[in-house]
Amino acid sequence: MKKWFAALLTLMLVLALAVPAMAEDTVALKIATWTSNESQLELLGSFVEEFAQLKGIGIDVTFESIDYNEYNTKLLLELQGSDAPDLYWVLETSAPAFIASGNLAKLNDALAAYDPDDISEGAFALWKDGEDVYAVPFSTSPFILIYNVDLFRQAGVKTPDELIAEDSWTWETFREISKQIKDATGVWGYQTVDGDGYNTRVLHNLLPIIRAFGGDAWDEDGNVLIDSEESVAAVQLFHDMVYVDGSVVPPGDESSFYTGAAAMTVGQISRLSNLDEVTWEWGICTLPGNSPVIGQAALGAFSGSKNVEIAAELAAYMTSESCAARIAGIWPPTRKAVLDSDDFLTSNSRIAPEQMKSAVAASIETGRVLPAHVLYPQIEVEAKIAYDKLWNANADVAAIMKDVADVYRSYLN
Amino acid sequence: MKNASSARTLRRNEALAGYAFVLPQMIGFCALVLLPLVNVFIYSFHDKNMLFGTNRFVGFDQYVKLFTNDKLFYTTLGNTFIFSILLVPLNLILSLLLALYLGEGRFGTRYICTVIFLPVVTSGVAWAIVWKYLLQGGTTGPVNWFLSLLGIQGPNWLMEKGWAMFSVVVNRVLKNLGTNVLIFFGAVMNMPSDVIEAARMDGASGLTLLRRIKLPLLMPTILMVSIVTMIGSMRVFDTIRLMTDGGPEGSTMVLVYYIYHQAFKMFNTGYASAIAVVLFVIVLMLTLVQWGLRGRLSHYES
Amino acid sequence: MKAKRILGHAARILLLAAITALFVYPFWWMVVNSLNTAAQVVGTPTLLPVSWRWENYREIFRIQPFARHLLNSIEVALVGTAGNILLSALAGYGFARLRFPGRNLLFVLLLTALMMPIEVIIVPLFFQMLGWGINDSLIPLMLIPIFGAQGAFSTFMFRQFFVTVPLELEEAARLDGLGHLGIFARIMLPIATPVISSAAILAFLAAWNTYLEPLVFINSIEKYTLPLSLNNFNDAYGQPQWNLQMAATTVSVVPIMLVYLIFQEKVTDAMVNSGLKG
Repeated sequence: MKKWFAALLTLMLVLALAVPAMAEDTVALKIATWTSNESQLELLGSFVEEFAQLKGIGIDVTFESIDYNEYNTKLLLELQGSDAPDLYWVLETSAPAFIASGNLAKLNDALAAYDPDDISEGAFALWKDGEDVYAVPFSTSPFILIYNVDLFRQAGVKTPDELIAEDSWTWETFREISKQIKDATGVWGYQTVDGDGYNTRVLHNLLPIIRAFGGDAWDEDGNVLIDSEESVAAVQLFHDMVYVDGSVVPPGDESSFYTGAAAMTVGQISRLSNLDEVTWEWGICTLPGNSPVIGQAALGAFSGSKNVEIAAELAAYMTSESCAARIAGIWPPTRKAVLDSDDFLTSNSRIAPEQMKSAVAASIETGRVLPAHVLYPQIEVEAKIAYDKLWNANADVAAIMKDVADVYRSYLN
Repeated sequence: MKNASSARTLRRNEALAGYAFVLPQMIGFCALVLLPLVNVFIYSFHDKNMLFGTNRFVGFDQYVKLFTNDKLFYTTLGNTFIFSILLVPLNLILSLLLALYLGEGRFGTRYICTVIFLPVVTSGVAWAIVWKYLLQGGTTGPVNWFLSLLGIQGPNWLMEKGWAMFSVVVNRVLKNLGTNVLIFFGAVMNMPSDVIEAARMDGASGLTLLRRIKLPLLMPTILMVSIVTMIGSMRVFDTIRLMTDGGPEGSTMVLVYYIYHQAFKMFNTGYASAIAVVLFVIVLMLTLVQWGLRGRLSHYES
Repeated sequence: MKAKRILGHAARILLLAAITALFVYPFWWMVVNSLNTAAQVVGTPTLLPVSWRWENYREIFRIQPFARHLLNSIEVALVGTAGNILLSALAGYGFARLRFPGRNLLFVLLLTALMMPIEVIIVPLFFQMLGWGINDSLIPLMLIPIFGAQGAFSTFMFRQFFVTVPLELEEAARLDGLGHLGIFARIMLPIATPVISSAAILAFLAAWNTYLEPLVFINSIEKYTLPLSLNNFNDAYGQPQWNLQMAATTVSVVPIMLVYLIFQEKVTDAMVNSGLKG
């Protein structure tokens, strides 16, 4: 009887000690992203686990993958509710809006432990307000050219890399090879980035050309340049590719590079996992004109989170040098220590080190992000209506870019 | 005395029971229809932004902006109007012709009745997704592929201004045609056969019979159906969102989609509410016309 | 005369062909491409699947919790329909057979819901659901078919029906000692089966097909209903996977279609009623 009682007592003691310890020190955290790639999420999950061990707490993490095209809408609706994510990715174009909205917690203290000065000044600019840090960029991924080597051989056309070697890699030669491919094989020469270049990703599509020609959307002082002579000439070039040469997968056509229906496309290196199962040979190189667009993504903590301090620390940890080094092959880092290391060049098993250097690292050096603005969601919706007018065979490019500029100006002033 | 009081008790009990019966429905109605309706008016006077968390009373400012300084709003209003103006006649003419054909009792009647109803029971989402592929540009979409067999180069249906509107209209017409066909079919079958016979004896046939006898007989139904169809056309959302996303050039951006855009893409919930009030007024006016019509028609019928 | 007959015949066959192309072929195309690879979907159309990839149907359950989405849709539609019928039958009876002050006023007020497009009130509804803590759950999707326009319409149908029931039936039941609830449950409901079936079909379809509401209220992928799910067959970068989308669409459309073909008359009756509503 006594023994039994003692055993019970011990059990209760153990329980009394164990249960609260578990209950108190396990926090549930939700992280919103726009990737749904399982291996990528697994990797991110392992960072959370490391962080939990480091802190000596339990973290019950869930990742929520939101469709890229719906990201801002869905994220913001969630932030209103009780089930909001504690950490979330932020798109570069919405950085000013999210900072201004107060939905991002300040990360200065949490980041102090992880050498914030290592993050390149250029990449960080968007995510700071003065000295205050609101999100940490974990990816500064240039849009590079991906091409189907087999199709080039079949058509007997010089590949982009061969043109680079000849030092004649320009948007004009790009236009030529795209047309040659189409004429020789009947396969499309070029597919815009994810086929979205006519709608949600119109700027990703056009800005590399525009900037190569010396134009831009708007500059840092808020001068709108999208209707400048240079910008118009650049857009005209792309427009001619679509409507004069007929070498680009046109709007409304679902033909995809990744299924072999186009010879070239633009994408980020995270996109290359799509090519694991293809039977043809492919290559990557920088975009012509030396002014690629860089896609930035940052991780921030929700200021309204119940565990905002832990969330902030986690955000800092997940963007630390150690983590950045391990995701570098998917999301090129913003940390100089990682970027300059040899490990970065071998970080993506799909890409040879020299390609990593010539295509990716070089693009990071020359590339710039899309313009951002505090009212970007509004600008995007209104500008799209103006951009849409481009996608007609007899569109007056100069007049249309003027309309786009009017939209931009109405918000920038 | 006793009788009177017991009658009063009975009546009171009946009234209490009455309230009890309608109460659950009325509570839900107040919470889910009336309250939000009041709120949509209140919001429309507030500069309410979901992103920045603002909520400031601005009086009629948003209405002023809407009517004097929002080109997109007028585009949207125009598009909604065009959508209805195209959809209602197309729907009515097709369904009336089909109903008249079915009324003749030729072969295939049952088959037609069955298949034109298939899209009616299908979700708008599924119907729109499938048609989006059927209408692909180039020659890959089945519609253009078929046209290319006939030697016609089809347009880029969903990406060209004009054709995009036409495509969503046709999509909606096909989706809901079945209902109207059957309503008209019922009306056709209810036409007094003696009147038609008499007219036929007098030598009326074909078009004359249709124009002089059948159409006037069907007029009440035609009027009712056109108003109901028009109100329905104000609410097209899923088709637009999935097939054209309001484009190209905003040419298929209709009022309901503009509300959604302003509220959930641009996060101006207050401004979106002002647009919603405009939509409410339009639907209210159409409904009043409908009720007026119903009253007059039932009077005429009796 | 004979030529004219042949011409008429040809015209009729052409009509049937056109109707088949417009109303049957889209569904056929959907089923065919649900059994193709993604590349074949955008290839030259064929009348039969090229590769017969049955694993597409396994894949849709793997790529997202599609079974969960199916169950969610079923749950929303069943609860919504049951609640709609129960509450609107009660209210319809109250409005038709019981006298109480303000009856007509309340009824007309309720009918205003009929003309209230959900699109008008979606913004305040969103904030309301947020305030009640039931956004990102299936509850709003069930409440709206019960109390929104669909609820008002069912109430209207029930009232119109109960008004026509002869008084004697009720008197006899009252002599048997039945109260209001008893009369409603034992006498009125059983004779109202045609209205119940019409109202139920309409409420079910409305709840099953609703799109704007889940789009606004639902965030978590586990809470998606079919209409949201269908448009979510994208790869990791938002590119649609057409063949899977078609397989999922087939799964969502075919059961409803079979039910329709079995109960065709009841369904068409109900829809014709709704077409004349208001």
